[in-house]
Amino acid sequence: MKNNIAAKLLSWTFIALFLAVSLFPFFWVVITSFKPGSEIFGRNAFGVIPENPTLESYRRIIFEKGIPKAIGNSFIEAAITTVYVIVVSSLSAYIIARYRFKGKILLMSLILGVSMFPQMIIVGPIFNMFYKLDILNSYWITLAFSTITLPSAVWIMVAHFKKIPVSIEEAARMDGCGPWRTLWQVVFPIAAPGIFTTAIMTFIAAWNEYLLSYTLNADKMYHTVPVAINALRTQFSILWGEITAATVVVVVPTLIIVLLFQKQIVSGLMSGAVKE
Amino acid sequence: MRRRMSARQFAFVFPLLLLIGVFSLFPIFSSFVYTLFDYRTNDQAAAGLFFGGNLNRSLYYEDLDYIIYFLEDDVTLVDETGKAEFSAIMQDVSKEMETYADGEDTIKLGSTESRQISAFIDDVERRIAAVYEKHPEIQFYNKEKIPVLTKEMRSCIIPSNFTGFEAYGKLLSDKRFGNSLLNTFIFTLVSVSFELVLGMGLALIMNKAVKGIGLVRAAALIPWAVPTAVAALMWSYLYDGGSGIIAELFTKLGLISSRQSLLNTAGGAMSAAILADVWKTTPYMALLLLAGLQVIEPGLYESSSIDGAGKVRTFFSITLPMLKPSILVALLFRTLDAFRVYDLIAVLTGGGPGGATETLSIYSYKVMISQSNYGYGSVIVVAMFLCVALIAFIFIKVLGAELISDE
Repeated sequence: MKNNIAAKLLSWTFIALFLAVSLFPFFWVVITSFKPGSEIFGRNAFGVIPENPTLESYRRIIFEKGIPKAIGNSFIEAAITTVYVIVVSSLSAYIIARYRFKGKILLMSLILGVSMFPQMIIVGPIFNMFYKLDILNSYWITLAFSTITLPSAVWIMVAHFKKIPVSIEEAARMDGCGPWRTLWQVVFPIAAPGIFTTAIMTFIAAWNEYLLSYTLNADKMYHTVPVAINALRTQFSILWGEITAATVVVVVPTLIIVLLFQKQIVSGLMSGAVKE
Repeated sequence: MRRRMSARQFAFVFPLLLLIGVFSLFPIFSSFVYTLFDYRTNDQAAAGLFFGGNLNRSLYYEDLDYIIYFLEDDVTLVDETGKAEFSAIMQDVSKEMETYADGEDTIKLGSTESRQISAFIDDVERRIAAVYEKHPEIQFYNKEKIPVLTKEMRSCIIPSNFTGFEAYGKLLSDKRFGNSLLNTFIFTLVSVSFELVLGMGLALIMNKAVKGIGLVRAAALIPWAVPTAVAALMWSYLYDGGSGIIAELFTKLGLISSRQSLLNTAGGAMSAAILADVWKTTPYMALLLLAGLQVIEPGLYESSSIDGAGKVRTFFSITLPMLKPSILVALLFRTLDAFRVYDLIAVLTGGGPGGATETLSIYSYKVMISQSNYGYGSVIVVAMFLCVALIAFIFIKVLGAELISDE
């Protein structure tokens, strides 16, 4: 019994420590975002409470540094990516889950392979391709995001389609549903949770993308959130006030998504990790 | 219901194949091709893949025109035989101009054609010089300009920059490559080991605790969900030599000599990068392992406790073996992710100080994009690709074909 209490205590200490370490950086960033420049450096740099709290950093990043524009770009790009990835991945995943065809193992190995190779290998040729087509600095970049989003999307969707009993489709067909209607009115509605999970995972992946955005869309008008925040760090000065304020502003949407959809995210992370 | 696929079903898969083909497979193939060329976009003579010779047609055409223009001036100064020779040359040059009047700015050149052009330039230069030498007393307008022009014409023939596998040999003697390979291995090994141990602990606790698990799970997901480039920037503030709280804390704890030495020393910068990575991805590891823990039959634990096995014993004889597939999958994903790390280090240290945190991704990006050396940059990337393939191959061999099985 004594042993049990000690074990519990150890667990709770571990959890408390984990929570503290996980959340501390955010906590500190929030504090800094309210400090005036003079308190970020110097005497009160390590003080927990800002002596003269100010919203100046927030005002500057919102009205002068174009962070709202970057949030807009990120949102547009993530939304475009999510829409086409969902369409493409659900159609192909349905076929992979339900049909038998030559080269299926090859196709699945290919998808897995694409999710594993270093993204860096496509950057040079993709840059050249976009340069030649004159589509650098545009939303066409979303098509290049397919390389980071499609493989896992197909993976999650296949796992979900396989869970749907075939008998449901057969019953629909008995009732006179054509293949298209079966798909739209029977299979996809049942697969909706899987589609939703895939959508969230795709959206987050596209929202977080840095390497391609930084390389292909270098123009300030097309900066996404990760690129725009890093652009706040100039060669001569590091304005931590603005950087922390911007971080708070862009982490809030992430926070909301995580809190609202944590079940779907966890299930998305786990597809492929566990054989069911 | 396992059905054969018809054309209509193929149409369902086609968009996937198209996207993967154009934006993943074609670029990978291109990178392999780049490695075979001395391809540098900041040097006109190497700014493309020139297999066999090429001709800068527009410049060559323009230069030929200048020859005629110059000779038209000088032809007025010479005697009848000289006039006849100059006219003959101008006629030959106009004929050559007709051949290269139209087409792309840069055109492909066979080796015979390349030799013909060289011979033509030599011939024209020699014949013009002969006329000039015959009349040393005459002050020609363009005597000095002709050699300059012929030199430029020769430069219009762009030789092949195909180098085959030569660049791979360069890799072996490239110290910077060796250094970045080592850095990548250290970063991957250390951060993934920490993540596995801490993630396992967290997963075991989350598997037990019923109360408050939602809170822990949400807290675990936040570092994972924040963009790596944003998280790295956040950490660079916490590590900052001037006002970084973590740098201050580490100094107080005696881990580092001063705040500045965290990011300015080789060991400090690497540790800082690893710590930031562990912070960001341990929760992800924990969730993957938790998924594995949850599918272990509770009955197994019960019989183990009836047999009188202790907690530690149960962990090593039941939990760990049952969890092996999940551990391997989690390790595979995390190892590959850590091996190709770019965002985190690019933002946090940029590969510094003095290359101490330069990983393969960082090095290849600098060579390829910053120095415009696509050829050698691609060689580094392909070497990284092969390492990743090897790691994946080893893991999948251990895992068995299970991962891509059709069942």
